[in-house]
Amino acid sequence: MSKKYQAIVEKDGVRYFHRFSSHQRVQHVVLFTSVITLALTGFPLRHAEEAWARPLYDFMGGTEIAPLIHRAAGTVLLALFVYHTAYWMIRFYREHVVKLRERGELTVGSFFRELFSLEMVPNKKDLVDIIQLWKYLFYFTNRPPRHDRMSWREKFDYFAPYWGIPILGPAGAALWWRDEISHVVPGIVLNAAYIMHTDEALLAVLFLFFVHWYNVHYAPEKFPAATVWLTGYLNEHDMIHEHYNEYVRVMIENGLEDEIKPQNFGGEEYEW
Amino acid sequence: MKNIRPAYFVKFLLTIISFVLITPEIYAADELNCVLCHKHRGLSRIDENGEFRLFYINQELFESGPHRRNKCKDCHTDIDRIPHKPAKKVDCAQQCHIVEPSGNKKFSHKNIAETLAKSVHGKLDENGEPKKYAEDYPDCKSCHDQPLYRPFSFYKGKKEPGISKRSISRCKSCHTDGNFAEDFYEHVTTRLHKSRYSVETIEVCAKCHQDKAFRERHELDDVITSYKETFHGKMVILGSERTPDCIDCHVVAGENAHLIEGQDTPTSAVHKNNVSTTCRSSGCHEKAAAQLASFQTHVTYDREKYPMQFYMLIFFKALMAVILYFFLTLIFFELLRRLFPKFSFFKEKKAENYEQVISEIKEEADSKSRATGKNGGHHE
Repeated sequence: MSKKYQAIVEKDGVRYFHRFSSHQRVQHVVLFTSVITLALTGFPLRHAEEAWARPLYDFMGGTEIAPLIHRAAGTVLLALFVYHTAYWMIRFYREHVVKLRERGELTVGSFFRELFSLEMVPNKKDLVDIIQLWKYLFYFTNRPPRHDRMSWREKFDYFAPYWGIPILGPAGAALWWRDEISHVVPGIVLNAAYIMHTDEALLAVLFLFFVHWYNVHYAPEKFPAATVWLTGYLNEHDMIHEHYNEYVRVMIENGLEDEIKPQNFGGEEYEW
Repeated sequence: MKNIRPAYFVKFLLTIISFVLITPEIYAADELNCVLCHKHRGLSRIDENGEFRLFYINQELFESGPHRRNKCKDCHTDIDRIPHKPAKKVDCAQQCHIVEPSGNKKFSHKNIAETLAKSVHGKLDENGEPKKYAEDYPDCKSCHDQPLYRPFSFYKGKKEPGISKRSISRCKSCHTDGNFAEDFYEHVTTRLHKSRYSVETIEVCAKCHQDKAFRERHELDDVITSYKETFHGKMVILGSERTPDCIDCHVVAGENAHLIEGQDTPTSAVHKNNVSTTCRSSGCHEKAAAQLASFQTHVTYDREKYPMQFYMLIFFKALMAVILYFFLTLIFFELLRRLFPKFSFFKEKKAENYEQVISEIKEEADSKSRATGKNGGHHE
């Protein structure tokens, strides 16, 4: 935990748990602003024959301006991808590699062990949580999974753009610089880039619209919108519900062992 | 209806009109006063083949078309009296009475007809024999069903549709008689750009090329649908005028637009040796290398013809289906779980104090033997 942020703050009698630093929150804002701009300037073109396409495209600047906006937003998104990669690599070096070296424990093995124990990397616990979730959903248990700091759903949300951008971005750049790139690769590569760009974009937008927005907007306990992306803090109720293991760990670390609340089992919070 | 003789019918109509006496708007070219009858919207009959024929002429449309200075009789040469017998089909290749200002000869569309005959759309093959299904091949009116002027004007560097008074004022300072300046201006500026919007051009080609029965007779792919799949097609549909339509790629730059040739003809713009030149025409992909030509424009996602596109499409659709179905099913069951929140086949007892919680969590972690250990794995 960086020193800048308190792990737990209390306001109006409610405990809030730190989740995201302002640095990370700004990255998220840049990410969704550029993605929404890309979708608004891209999808009218993808579905040009639909009735809504022409008005929306004209609103976004028409055939002359909208492509420029699309390319600008794409450039921002690719830059963010590079920036974020540098961001976690530098943090990993400072917070893990340097400490390993100071302790004289830096080996290839320990390096990769540290790398794979980063909070965003999927691990065995995620598989356990997925199985527990399905058991819970099919009424085989009344205990929902106890997630660590990052649940498997958040990891999926994270890696969706992390694999999507390397597919969408270079394909989009190839279509943008089609004349120049033809000196390097034959034109049929643009056929491939076209499918990669348009179909991966559809997958990304449908995933964001149905799955990610369900997680943070439509779900009954989140509706109309979650606030953690703005404040960086999650309240105790949601923390118990979504990250129980992390909740217990942070409470113990902050000397609040006596005030740890039990996990919410099925039905205890949705008694409508 | 069939037993009413047309001449009789026209006479009857004329009588009615002379009684009612609607003031006719006669235009300059209408020497024979044809519009007196043909301006009525209901002027129609069922012909000998049982087909409905409409003889109404929309004056407003005719007035904004390129033939407005022609007299009716210039094209309908077989009409010499009113009321007239059913007229023959107009032959666009005949000489008309308009005299070309450049060379004093009477004007004719004959050379266009000759060019069309040489193109892939000609009705006769190299030996002069009619091609198979010759009736499918187009004549002038198959494409030019409603020719209209589409003038534009430049003023202070800005291009705008229509005639601007400022643009034409310099013509009008000398050519003061009649509508000559307007006519000539429209004649020239309409031809400086495409007389049709690209969307209309595609609709014209689609009349035949998207027709399923037609395509099967001639063993042709659905090139209209595949064109609309490209960025060219999509931009055109969204109103771009800078994006190529059918004619831009299928006519050799500088050639007569009526000379569209099949891809097997060596002089064709889309012959495999010429595609790279066509793509790199001025104003198009000028800076591109010749190998840009291996881009496939009319992709049908047919497994044999376009295997790469076919399998890529399958891959992405499958990926999308797997991911979305997994999560949508999850969301569905999650919402369903809330219907009976307290019900469960097997119940776990809740921990009574924090020590029990911690020991439970530890036990769970140990039993699954997590590689990462206690609280390692936390980034911050």
